[in-house]
Amino acid sequence: MKKEQLTLKEISLKDERFRTSYHFSLQKLKLSLEEIGLLNAPLVTLRDNRFILVSGWKRVLACLELSFTAIPVYVIEEENDLKTFLMALYENLASREFRLMEKAEVLARLKKFGEDEKRIIRHYLPLLDIPQTLSLLDAYLAFSRFEPEMKRAIHEKNMPFSSLKLLTGFTPQEQRLLLPLLLPLGQNKQKEILEDSLEIAKRNNMPAKNILLSNEIKAVQANETLTPLQKADKIRALLREKRYPVFSSWKGSFDSLLKKMKWPREITVNPSPFFEEDSFTVIFSFENQEQFKTHLLKLKELSSRAEFLEIFKLR
Amino acid sequence: MGKTEFLPRRVYIEKKSLHRALTKRILKNIGRIPLEIVEDSQDFLEERKISRDSVKHGKKDLFITSQKGEFVKPCPCTPHTIGCNYYIINLDLNCPLNCTYCILQHYLSDPVITVHTNLDDLWTQLDVFLDRNKDRWIRIGTGELGDSLLIDHLTGNSKELISYFKNKHNVIFELKTKTVNKIAESEEGGSPAIEERINAANRVVDKGFRVGFHFDPLILYPGCEKDYNDVVENLLEHIDPARIAWISLGSLRFPPSLKEIIQERFPETKIIYSEMIKGKDGKLRYFKPLRLELYKNVVRAIKEKGGRRVPLYFCMEGKSIWREVLGWVPRGKEGLEAYLSSPFGKSVV
Repeated sequence: MKKEQLTLKEISLKDERFRTSYHFSLQKLKLSLEEIGLLNAPLVTLRDNRFILVSGWKRVLACLELSFTAIPVYVIEEENDLKTFLMALYENLASREFRLMEKAEVLARLKKFGEDEKRIIRHYLPLLDIPQTLSLLDAYLAFSRFEPEMKRAIHEKNMPFSSLKLLTGFTPQEQRLLLPLLLPLGQNKQKEILEDSLEIAKRNNMPAKNILLSNEIKAVQANETLTPLQKADKIRALLREKRYPVFSSWKGSFDSLLKKMKWPREITVNPSPFFEEDSFTVIFSFENQEQFKTHLLKLKELSSRAEFLEIFKLR
Repeated sequence: MGKTEFLPRRVYIEKKSLHRALTKRILKNIGRIPLEIVEDSQDFLEERKISRDSVKHGKKDLFITSQKGEFVKPCPCTPHTIGCNYYIINLDLNCPLNCTYCILQHYLSDPVITVHTNLDDLWTQLDVFLDRNKDRWIRIGTGELGDSLLIDHLTGNSKELISYFKNKHNVIFELKTKTVNKIAESEEGGSPAIEERINAANRVVDKGFRVGFHFDPLILYPGCEKDYNDVVENLLEHIDPARIAWISLGSLRFPPSLKEIIQERFPETKIIYSEMIKGKDGKLRYFKPLRLELYKNVVRAIKEKGGRRVPLYFCMEGKSIWREVLGWVPRGKEGLEAYLSSPFGKSVV
């Protein structure tokens, strides 16, 4: 490996065979480059008489944005792609944590460059903090096949492994339909949408796109009065209702009973989680004896009504 | 195991177990199957875990080794439900059947059918355990972490166990083999047909033993009500209810992590897409009104078809299910144990 000074024009960025990092912010790096210059030279190698980047995408892209003309690089004199890639991998492993999609890209490259599957499991999965199982390797390889837009969303929303695993159950077209629903939501709600649509589809023996393109969902998406978050949340609730119809109807009956009784907002009454137990819980807060007594009187009045007995049928 | 008995594809023997009587018996019964001596059990087991479907591959091979821990353990049950004070003997682990819902896919960390050959340790542990519990009834059985009989033609363990327990006056010993359930065709890969299982039970009754039936897991699917009614009818037509020690009922339930395993191993199954909620014990189970309907139907059928006096109990259910379906609630696990032990004299179940 020898150190050289190359103009940025000499480095071809079109060949991304060794690239595993995407969607990063260059802001801080640019500040640092402006202050102290480029201290760590990126790695390049020669393929078809062109210098291609092996490691240091962030650094090179930042230099380009700052209109640097030339930078120092290390030239790897290795013709084998796997061996070349490993140099980049070890350089990165020593200096930073890999994010989920980066791990997927690393494993996909190792596979593409002909590394033995058993060696990937035994040697590289632990290096990437992944348990040594074939099914996990399969999962990460599937992640690496997501479309670029999906990869960007995964990266930006920091989606967890479990959600990505669910995403692999959808076709690319379905993934594109899901994307606007996932983007405004937090991780738990994202998972709920993925899980419910996949499971409804499997239960009903139909492709998930039939659910995602159903009239009910289309109507919510077409509603211009709703924000993207409100739309996603409404669709999430719709899917939940379809996934758990009996539970939803029990929950609905309970809520409408409280509504019918005009149950006061300041006193909360809850069934046990999923109506599993016979008991209910009442919660209220009070600041003095007077408030406490008022709540008790209200509860006494509510409990004497005939509708109150209906509650006990819902358990 | 039905018409064809299980024969492993390959037998692995831990070096320490080579000289044991049970190992010799297995090798005699097994015939000409490729053998491999295992120097390091840990390495051997770790290596097997790499396979794409290690659970499936594990069902094809036999590993002869020793039980390093306790053979006898209390049945773990699940929190927030009424237990039954049952004890389990972990003699064999894993099973050649390929049931979709099987908890062993999640529970067993070693993907291979395992036989423990240090029977001397088992008898010693049982002696100590029974001596410590000589003043109470003990319900104990194999078949919790593997089927009691599916590899019995190789091990001959059931004979030894019956012979050990036959003179123990405070013990109800149970050998558990594949449950009766019409979903067998789609979800219990390799399991014997119901008729075959009932015939087998009948032969056990003819030998003078009582039999117990575990309708577990009951599975919801369109038409399940009629199917379960037919199974109950068939069962009670062929088995004298007076010879039935108990019938236990449990509905499909599993830890959430098993769901992923089932999805991977059985992508065509639909049983995990019913309305399952997370119970207080963290396991997924049918929403309570659905469980109640399922149980009430089976209990009604049992009572209508002549099983009114057969002791019934629930596996891993709470008070409200007991109250609503059976009309009574046992006083904890001791109460249930007393209820299930009371009809017996010196029976071996």
